[in-house]
Amino acid sequence: MTTKDFVTKWLAYGLMLLPVWFLECFVLSRFPVFGVKAALLPLAAVAVAVLEGGAAGAGFGLAVGILYDTAVPGMPGAMTLALALIGLGAGLLAQYALRQDLLGCLICSALAMGIIDAGRIIARLFTRSAPLEAMAGVAGREILWSLCFVPLIYLMFRWVFRRVPKATVL
Amino acid sequence: MKDFLKHNGILILVIALLLALITAVVSATFGGAANPLSNLAGVISTPFRNGLNAVVNWAEGVYTNAFERERLEEELEALRKENAALKEEALKGEAASRENERFRDLLGFRQKRRDLDLWPAKVTAHGSSNWSSTLTISEGSAGGVEAGDCVIDQYGNLVGVVTEVGTNWSTLITVVDVDLEMGGLIARTDGAAILEGDFRLMGEGRLKLTYLPEDTQLLAGDTILTSGLKTGDAATYPSGLVVGYVEEVRSDDSGMSDYAVLTPATDLDSLEQVFIVKDFDIVE
Repeated sequence: MTTKDFVTKWLAYGLMLLPVWFLECFVLSRFPVFGVKAALLPLAAVAVAVLEGGAAGAGFGLAVGILYDTAVPGMPGAMTLALALIGLGAGLLAQYALRQDLLGCLICSALAMGIIDAGRIIARLFTRSAPLEAMAGVAGREILWSLCFVPLIYLMFRWVFRRVPKATVL
Repeated sequence: MKDFLKHNGILILVIALLLALITAVVSATFGGAANPLSNLAGVISTPFRNGLNAVVNWAEGVYTNAFERERLEEELEALRKENAALKEEALKGEAASRENERFRDLLGFRQKRRDLDLWPAKVTAHGSSNWSSTLTISEGSAGGVEAGDCVIDQYGNLVGVVTEVGTNWSTLITVVDVDLEMGGLIARTDGAAILEGDFRLMGEGRLKLTYLPEDTQLLAGDTILTSGLKTGDAATYPSGLVVGYVEEVRSDDSGMSDYAVLTPATDLDSLEQVFIVKDFDIVE
């Protein structure tokens, strides 16, 4: 892979985030299913991590986290850190314990969404702003609904992944 | 040929005259039906005429395709563009008309609430998180918006409270968000209570009224307003804004106290334009 290929690939990954962001923030946010909206940006970070491995996954997770914190109001910086760690973990998990394919991506996505929602639940339990069972219900439905989009997101990023030569000459 | 006609011209004329005479006589004799000679000529010539007609039609088609098609396509393209432009104009007109209507509604509200300093803003995004209920609007610090400002719709119904302010954008939590807390007032009885978001109700687009006055019997449909009274660390909000209507009264998990479930007066899902309350008279 030449430096030009490298830059092109990561630019293409970055561009792929735009339709994902648009779909999450402007389309799916208007049409909740089972009372919840799908979270797609974390799935994008996981998909790239599964395809590219731990280090690259962490870098891409960081970028997606920044976008997430910018686009979705919440605790500033929390998703930046969380998605960088999730990218690292998902990349390593897919590389060494699972497979770098759709099934691996599905498992990593489920784990990632579980970790993110567990973090949210713990944060809210500390502030006592919501009962546990209500939050668990929302988290479960959110994870299930979001996982429906894993194949689409995985295929989008794999399309970019397959179009760049892999012989590394940096 | 010229010589033949010169020498036999008279003869030809005579033959023609005879043929005409015979045709006329035969036609008169057969009364409307084609005479045998014409019929024979017709039978023989029809296939040729049909063939010729087909060739002419084909040639005309080719001509049309070759010379007219380009023109027709250009015309079609021009019509499509015109149609698109007209549709765009119609959409703009529709949007302007809706905006006009909202401002007219606001004008009516403004007559009643002269104490409020209002600033219009467009809703640019609806929050996509399941853990909060937010809206992003098109005005920020450049327009004088500040965190804690109340946001209402054109009828004066409370939409939410600004929590984050950018240069030309702001984020607000809506009335159903779990972090919302402000003083409420039951319009029918003047009883004070607390308006709060609730995680379970947020998903259903509703909120609750807690710390209900002991001697007050709430009725379904009761209007709940902002009291303007300060609650805890919350900022001071304008009074008299319609927040919602009582749907039902429930007991809390401990069973020790009741709370009312409210349906917001504003339609949070279809909001396009809102008005930020930049200043108001504080109720003491």
